[in-house]
Amino acid sequence: MTTVAEAVATARATVERLTKVKRLHGLLTPTTELRKSLLQQAQAAHPSGVLYGMPVVVKDNICTLDFTTTCGSKVLEGWRAPYDATAVARLRAAGALIAGKSNCDEFAMGSSTEHSAYGRVLHPLDKTRVPGGSSGGSAALVGAGAVPAALGSETGGSVRQPAAFCGVVGIKPTYGRVSRYGLVAFGSSLDQIGVFGRSVHDAARVLSVISGRDPRDATCEDRDPLRLPTVPESLQGFVIGLPKEYFPAELDPAVRRACDRAIRMMRELGAAVREVSLPHTPYAVPTYYVIAPAEASSNLARYDGVRYGPRFNGATDLRSLYRSTRGQGFGPEVRRRILVGTYVLSSGYYDAYYRRAQQMRALIAQDFRNVFDRGVDLLFTPTVPSPAFKAGEKLADPIAMYMSDIFTVTANLAGLPAISLPIGRVKGLPIGGQLIGQAFLEDEMIEAAYALERVVPATDEA
Amino acid sequence: MSVTREEVLRIAQLAELHVEEEQLPALVEQMSRIIDYVAQLSQLPAGETVKPFLAGPDAARFRPDEVKPIPLARPPADMAPAFKEGYFLVPKLEQFEQGNGAAEEE
Repeated sequence: MTTVAEAVATARATVERLTKVKRLHGLLTPTTELRKSLLQQAQAAHPSGVLYGMPVVVKDNICTLDFTTTCGSKVLEGWRAPYDATAVARLRAAGALIAGKSNCDEFAMGSSTEHSAYGRVLHPLDKTRVPGGSSGGSAALVGAGAVPAALGSETGGSVRQPAAFCGVVGIKPTYGRVSRYGLVAFGSSLDQIGVFGRSVHDAARVLSVISGRDPRDATCEDRDPLRLPTVPESLQGFVIGLPKEYFPAELDPAVRRACDRAIRMMRELGAAVREVSLPHTPYAVPTYYVIAPAEASSNLARYDGVRYGPRFNGATDLRSLYRSTRGQGFGPEVRRRILVGTYVLSSGYYDAYYRRAQQMRALIAQDFRNVFDRGVDLLFTPTVPSPAFKAGEKLADPIAMYMSDIFTVTANLAGLPAISLPIGRVKGLPIGGQLIGQAFLEDEMIEAAYALERVVPATDEA
Repeated sequence: MSVTREEVLRIAQLAELHVEEEQLPALVEQMSRIIDYVAQLSQLPAGETVKPFLAGPDAARFRPDEVKPIPLARPPADMAPAFKEGYFLVPKLEQFEQGNGAAEEE
């Protein structure tokens, strides 16, 4: 695409496509506002940008100057950020069109996008099922073909898990690869902006644009933006590890079949495949569900009715203002996590929970280093133990919901890059396969994903 | 239940979070389940020493110590629920309303 007229035509077509899939409830931006903004953006975008005219939906916990940023929460209803997140500013500079804000679990806390104050998101292929979460709106819109790419955020798998459920590609970069400036904080030592795409190439293109050093985020590494690898002819020279803890006996048989097929194809492409062990994996979910709520309880202290958004009335003094605003403004999952986080940080419990979780996190990261130090380049695993589950199925049981993150949280805890790509279907529902790479070696991971994507029958029954 | 009703109320107070009475039984039950679940971390020997894992750069990079205001597209008055003459407005603290000025005791 090289002309303004073409960009305007793309903007119009994007609005039409997003309107057609309104029933998914993936987009929070009203159509009239979206149309006006997209047409203005298309006329203003610089045609020399590498993403010129590419519509990209942005998760609603990433700040944008146009459109509200609510994080799927009543406590930020109507809030407009006073700046663009660095990732959004870089997309604009590359000529991309910001195609509205996507629905998500409140403050990115959830695995099904049923915890948004603005209603649940539907799975693009089966409206009785969830699209995954917390970036379910972004995943559903890419999965439905409304946009080629979207931004999401990851704290424990919130890009890769919905990508697997919706049959699209999802990349979680190394912690520090992409600036967190303008990403509303949930668990600051875990949070990263991630990318969805229809293909590995679409997702990787967007990632390369948003990556790189940013003086506004001290946790962003002082590195150049990611350079895109070429599509390889084979996987000769790659050593792929299969962590045995990710292939338990109770793994869904269709997921196992799809993984076995993908593994066979990687072997046929020339990769050396060997079983490895990450022994502390069974402790990853409990570790995550101590550290993430602890960080959330601190990060969400700022929503007190003083500095942001609505103030819930009836308060006669300052403390009751805090308590009533937070009590009424936050939904049940966020309230629960704030309470758990406060509990594990409180006097008498800190050593038993928080300190232990930090020790376990170090052991989990050490497991990965041990495997990579022994010559393994990448790890291959299922992304999620099963395909998309029914809406409401896990709402009353937080532990069952948390377990859908079991194969994704480890990369967040260890700060590693990972990608989920579709590797087959079961009864029409997509299954995702995951490649976990070494820190800041996203190029190797994307190269292998390119090769696998070319051969794996992603829409065939496993 | 590993977490009691009283503990939930105390934690809610620490978190400045109002919890409705009718929400309490479910919250006690769910928090107990979560705390029981994460308690498996106690299987890690207390004395086991591992180098702490820090995500991100090994050393924090410092910017020059200069005041460089970031231009905001919207002023705080547009974001805050109540704002006047450069200040965020809040209700008065209870003890001052009562006129005793004493620090609140928890």
